[in-house]
Parts: sequence; structure tokens; C-alpha cells
Amino acid sequence: MGCGSLEASDFKSDLKPIWCPGCGDFGVLQALYRALAAVGRPPHEIAFISGIGCSSRIPGYTTAYGFNTVHGRALPIAQGVKLANPDLLVVVAGGDGDGFSIGGGHVAHAVRRNLDLTYLVMDNQVYGLTKGQLSPTSLKGLETVTSPLGSLEDPINPLLYVLAYGAGFVAQATPADMPGMAALIEEAIRYPGFSFVNIQSPCVTFGEEEQQLRAHKAKLKPLAKLHHDPSNPLAALDLARAYGRELYTGVFYRNPAPPQPYDALVRLRQAEQSKLATPRAQLLDTWLADGRGKR
Amino acid sequence: MRDDLILGMAGAGGDGVVSAGESLLKAATTLGYHAMMTKSFGSQIRGGESSCRLRLSTRKVLNPGGALDVLVALNWEDFLRFGAELPLSADTVVVYDEKAGPARTPVAARGLVLVPVPISALAKQAAGSEKAKTAVVLGLLSGWLDLPAPAVLKGLKQRFASKGEAVLTATEKAFTAGLAHAAANGWAAPKALEKPAADAGPKLLCDGNDMCAAGALFAGVKFFGGYPITPSTEVMQILSRELWKYGGAVLQAEDEIAGVGAAVGASFAGKKAMTATSGPGLDLKAELLGLATIAELPLVVVDVQRGGPSTGLPTKAEQSNLFAAAFSGHGDVLRPVLAPTGVADTFRLTVEAFNIAEQYQTPVLLLSDQEIAQRKKAIDVIDTSTLEVAERRVPTMAELAEKPYARFALTESGVSPISHPGLEGGTYLAAGIEHDEKGAPTSGGAMHAKMNRKRFAKLEPLAARADLFELTGNPAAPLGIVAWGSTAGVAREACRAAAARGLDVKLLVPYLLHPVADDVYASFFASLTAGLVVELSHQGQLYRLLRMFTDVPSSVRSLCRSGANPFSPAELLTRLVELKGVR
Repeated sequence: MGCGSLEASDFKSDLKPIWCPGCGDFGVLQALYRALAAVGRPPHEIAFISGIGCSSRIPGYTTAYGFNTVHGRALPIAQGVKLANPDLLVVVAGGDGDGFSIGGGHVAHAVRRNLDLTYLVMDNQVYGLTKGQLSPTSLKGLETVTSPLGSLEDPINPLLYVLAYGAGFVAQATPADMPGMAALIEEAIRYPGFSFVNIQSPCVTFGEEEQQLRAHKAKLKPLAKLHHDPSNPLAALDLARAYGRELYTGVFYRNPAPPQPYDALVRLRQAEQSKLATPRAQLLDTWLADGRGKR
Repeated sequence: MRDDLILGMAGAGGDGVVSAGESLLKAATTLGYHAMMTKSFGSQIRGGESSCRLRLSTRKVLNPGGALDVLVALNWEDFLRFGAELPLSADTVVVYDEKAGPARTPVAARGLVLVPVPISALAKQAAGSEKAKTAVVLGLLSGWLDLPAPAVLKGLKQRFASKGEAVLTATEKAFTAGLAHAAANGWAAPKALEKPAADAGPKLLCDGNDMCAAGALFAGVKFFGGYPITPSTEVMQILSRELWKYGGAVLQAEDEIAGVGAAVGASFAGKKAMTATSGPGLDLKAELLGLATIAELPLVVVDVQRGGPSTGLPTKAEQSNLFAAAFSGHGDVLRPVLAPTGVADTFRLTVEAFNIAEQYQTPVLLLSDQEIAQRKKAIDVIDTSTLEVAERRVPTMAELAEKPYARFALTESGVSPISHPGLEGGTYLAAGIEHDEKGAPTSGGAMHAKMNRKRFAKLEPLAARADLFELTGNPAAPLGIVAWGSTAGVAREACRAAAARGLDVKLLVPYLLHPVADDVYASFFASLTAGLVVELSHQGQLYRLLRMFTDVPSSVRSLCRSGANPFSPAELLTRLVELKGVR
């Protein structure tokens, strides 16, 4: 398989999403189906790992191998999957709380390690599953049930965070531009290394008016139209600073000369070291007191 | 002449007493003795105090032993910091550096045989530097214990081989000075060792962490995810060098959670996976262990116990992680816990941990401890030809073609075939959320109850595994000891001593601690008028675990105390006899 004969519908499972009607995550799911069909890897060669939150339910709505894990740990688990079997296409997904609050410490390390996997964050600036609390990307001043008098904190900037640690592919999308989002997810999956797409995915139940699709449509600015050069990391950092004010969509940064990803280096090391393997029956000879088994 | 000798050495961190001990261990092993060495340190990175104790014997060595026969103290301050680990008896010969000054209380007060030697001065004179102190000590010991000098010197020189000719020459001179001093100055007590049997056979020189890594490789581990933590780090270090050769990978993760998380991911991907840690790391991993339990993923978690809670005593052994191993994490969980008792059986039990994990699709805790993990021992070569290696039950292509795959199918045994990404026809959703047979999330009480029953039922056969228990002695004996982990060695020796005294004492060593094998304990306790459950923790965690899951008669008591206070065989027997008298 893998010959491009797959349709978007081949990736749709028969589980019905638990999301609220109108949730941005439905759009993400549709775009993902299209992207996966375009990439052309069959579902059984895909491992789709998520954490906890509304958006983390997404693996179950695909026909790929899914693992809906625990809160904040999708990235380390996905790295274990990829290292155990580098042939797999590994996609990781979750929300802004999962990725940048409880699991925030893992992001920097996933970026610097640079395994060939794609991280999709459905960023809605609020905790939806627990019904409307402050999230790490909520704007300062936001009133929620845990910040009834208004938040006193600045939000984290996911784009700047990931760019700063040297990610090779960083993009932003919104369901307000479905073809654009599907194309970005596809490009992220095809990028040979760690790729990150921050998806502004509106929460229709707890989100603010200016975060809804209608507002996105009016506000979005495709980076391509701004003549941004995605091979320019400094320009990417500069644009990323506008997170929370401007809604730029498209590729902020794409490393024009991607280094070998970690999993490829692991394969090379395994191939090189396999020559030194000892038959199972002689494994313990290394510890022979007379030193005979020393290699 | 004697057939068994316990030697302790203490000095400052830079003095090299531990590496001197290793040289002596190597020499003794080459000469055919059975030998074991344990180390103990302060928790300083450099400097501070360090010590080792070596037991040399013409018979199998079961434990590090009790009081020292010979103590070598390079200074008094450092020795005195190891009170419980280097205990003296009325017969201990105390060799000390004259430079350290007269023996201090409590050494001086006990009327011991004191042998002052100008160790520093001899080193300075022979080698030009006091740094050669331990070479002098090895010369002394070689002479006094009648250990052939060429063998000891060879071990010593191997250690300095990379330091150049000048250092080697100086080391040899210092050694020779020690040897000459021993020849010219006899000592009061006969401590020379009998010659070992000539046909002792080849030996492995290793510690528990070595055998844990080797066992994992033998079992076919393909992924290790972890984070450095004393005293388990060597497991990761060895695999970091070895695992690539076998098509595996090691990830030094950003934290303990990510380490076990990556291992869970690798297991989901179909590979044998493990992590190793110690108490504080186990605390952090608890949530991921629950995930592996509910997603029914095989996983081996090695916990090399140290003193707790929190940072506790990071460089000392304690058996206080049993509750955490069995119970950490929320929800109804039956987590298998295995415990090796020494260096050699760490190999077999690591293989067993993988077998149980793979066969029953569950995380398995392997509870080692600092004493086992970092104890260097000469052991007989392990016969691996009879060891079985189990693989997880993967659905066949025919099964997958026959009907839609149900990952969590409710089978009679509770074990359902497990597929993995890459396998066509086997796709499913694994999850931390409760699920139905096909993996679809559910919050229904009926399905949750069925799945809990499945996850418990599949582990029921474990308690019937007689090979996971060691039963020795007369089954009808009125006296009995239950001991686990590193304490088992002391108990075995106590039983050997009991036999010599005409006491009828039997011994039960469980390698499987949890689930508690009800029948095994019931039949062991049945004949007892006095019994002890011996363990190194303030609470006596195995005793309490037994009280929780099985009937423990009032004749069986807990003998327990905090870590870094090892038991001696004599003490066990004394307590047992006392208990018998009380009844």
C-alpha cells in the first residue's frame, strides 16, 4: 500500500465524536483525514498518540492505531513509539493545556531531540473538558471560573516556545481555512523531523466571541500573502511574537536543510553496533572473572 | 586457619578503599575463593567517607556477614560514620594507620586486638606519596591472610594500568613494603585463609545491576527509557552501551515520567520495554503504571530500593518500597512484584519479570535494593540453557482475517491477544480511559466491572507458581523465618547456623511478593510455634502485606528495622529462640 490510493473516508472510524456541535476540532479531524489520504500511508502504519482533553479524543475517531494516554505525556510516549518502530508514521495531538501546561516540560525536549513526528496542538485558550477554566494560552485579564476576577498572567506563546528550541517546522492553522489547514498538516507530516502545527480551534461553549470561526475568517492573515520567507528563522520569530494579537496562518519556519532526525541516527547506530552483538547464550561472558569475555 | 573471613575497610573518599577492595575481590576470585563485596558511601560526590566490606570464603557466600574479622581503618572519623555497616565483635582485629592516632572510643574501649601500622609513612617511603596507602594495605593483607602476592599484585596493577609506568612501579613498591611489614610483624589472631578447592570453576564477577541489565538483554529487551537515579543508574548505563547491538534503543529522558512514558510507548509499538529507577522515581511514574495496567501493556519497572521517604538515604539499602511497588497509583490494580535476593538471582528474576509482563500484558515491578544492586560478587557461571523467554500473544493473520479484532476481548484466562502498530487488520484504540472489548471508551459501570475482573483474573495463575518461592528445611519445623530481598541471604545463613546448633528452623523466601500467595503462606505457617518475618524497613512492609491478604497466626512476628542497619544471622536466631521461649 502507500500508493496514494487512499480516500479521506478510509481514515474515518465509526466512533462518534463527543465534541460540542460546532467545535473547531471537527474541522481539524476533517483536515487530518484529507492530509492522511494525501500522504498515502495506510491506517495500520500510523500511530496516533494523544493526551487528555477534548481534542485528545481525536485518535479514536480515526482508523489508525490510537493511544489516548494520560494528561500531558503524549510526547514522551510518542517518542517511545517512534524509537521502537521508526517505520511508523507518528502523529501526536492534544490541547493547549495538555501540551503547554501539564506537559509543557516535555515540549522542549521533543523539539531538541527532533524525532520525525508531527505534533498538532488544538489551541482554544480554555479548558473545555473540565468546563471553562483558565488555560496556559488564555489572554491576561480573561474571566473564567478559576479567574472570576480576571487572569493576572500573560499567556504562553506556543509558536515562540517551539521556534526558540529550534523546531524545523512550525506552522499555524485555523478551521476557518480548511484547505489551508489540510495542506499544512500534510506538509508537517511530510517534513522529516519534529513538526509542529498550532491550530486555533475555537471552543464554542467556553470560548470568547473573538475566538470563534466567524472572527477567525475576518482576522486571518496567510503568511504567504505577507511574502514571509519561511526559511528565515529570525523573521519567523518576529512574526510569532504577534501570537494572541494577530492570526497568522501558514508556515512560520521550515528548515531548508533538515538534519537527520533522531530516529534515523538511531537506525544508523543500530546497524553499526549490530556487528558487536553476542549470541544470547554468551551474553554473560562479559562478566567472566578471568576477563576472557571482555569485548 | 579459617574458611571464612569478613574484612572491612574505611577511609576518606579519595583514599581508594573501594577500588582496593575490588582488586582484592578480583584476586580472591581468580584464586578460587567465593567472594562478595559491598560498598557504602556518604552521599558526597567526591571526598566524604567510603567503605567496603569483603567476605572471602571457601564455601558459597550467602550474605555480607555480620561482625568484621578484620578492620582496616585509614582514619577514625571516616570509620566511625559506618557504625552499623562495619560492626565489630570482641574478636575483630583492628589494623589502623598510625597517622590516625590512638584508637578512639568505642574501638579503644572494647579491648580489641589493635594493630597500628605506619601505613602512610610506608607509602611515602616506598612510593614517594601517601596516595599509595591502599597498595600498602593490600601488601599487608596479602601477607597476613596468606593470599598469594602475585595474584593480589596483578589485580592491583590492572587497576593502574592506564596510569603509566611510574605509577605502576610506585604501586608495586608500596605493595612490597606492606608485604615486608606483614612478614616482619605477625599479629595476634590466626586469620589466614584455608586454600580454596582447586576445581572451583569459572566465575562471573558482577553486581546486581549488571545482572539486571544482562537479564533484560537475555529476555530480549528492545527499549529502555529512564532517568539517572542512585542506586539504579548502572542499569541504564550498561544498556546505553549494549542495547543498540541488539536492535534496541535507550532514551535518557528529561524526567522520570518521560522515561517510563517512552517505555510505555515502545511497548504499545510491540517491543519489550523497561525502565529502572529508585523510590523517588517510582513515585513520579505511578500515573503511567496505571496507564500500562488499564491499556494492558507489558512493561518491566526495576526499582532499586534505597532509604526513604523522599530523598531519604540515597546510598543505603532499605526494603521500604514494597507498598509503593504494589500499590502506588489509584484505582483497583493488581500489580505483580518480584524481588531478587542477590546478584545471581537478579538475572533470573529479571528474565521472569519480562516473561510475566509479556505473558499477562501488565507492568511488573522488580524490587532490588542498593545492597544487591551495588554488591560485587564472584558467582558461579549461570546456566542459561534452561531459562525460557516468553513472548506476548499477538493475534495471527488468520485470526485477524476471521473476524473484526477486539483488543480487549473477554477471554476465559483474561488474556486477550495484543496487536501493535504496523500489523494490518489489528488497529485499535488503546486508552487510559475505561473501554469496551474493542477499545471504545465507555463510562458504563457494567463494562468497568467486567474489565476490572479481566485485569485481575489474568494474574490469578501467578500465586500458584511454586518456582517463585524458595522453601528450605523440615516442612514440619516448629521454627520458621520468612525473608525477602537482600535480607534473605542473612536468613539462609541463620538457617545453616541453626542446623549446626540442632535447632529445627525452616525458611520461606518469596520471590513473588504480590499478589500474595495465600496457600504458600498458610502451609508454611501451619507447623510454626514461633516465626519471624524479617525485613529492613521501619514498618515491616511484607509482614503488613501478609496481614492484609492472608491469615498470619500470632506466633509469627515481624522483625524489622530501618535501612542501613543490616541484620546478622546470629541476631535472627536469638530472636527466634526468644520468641519460642515466650510462647
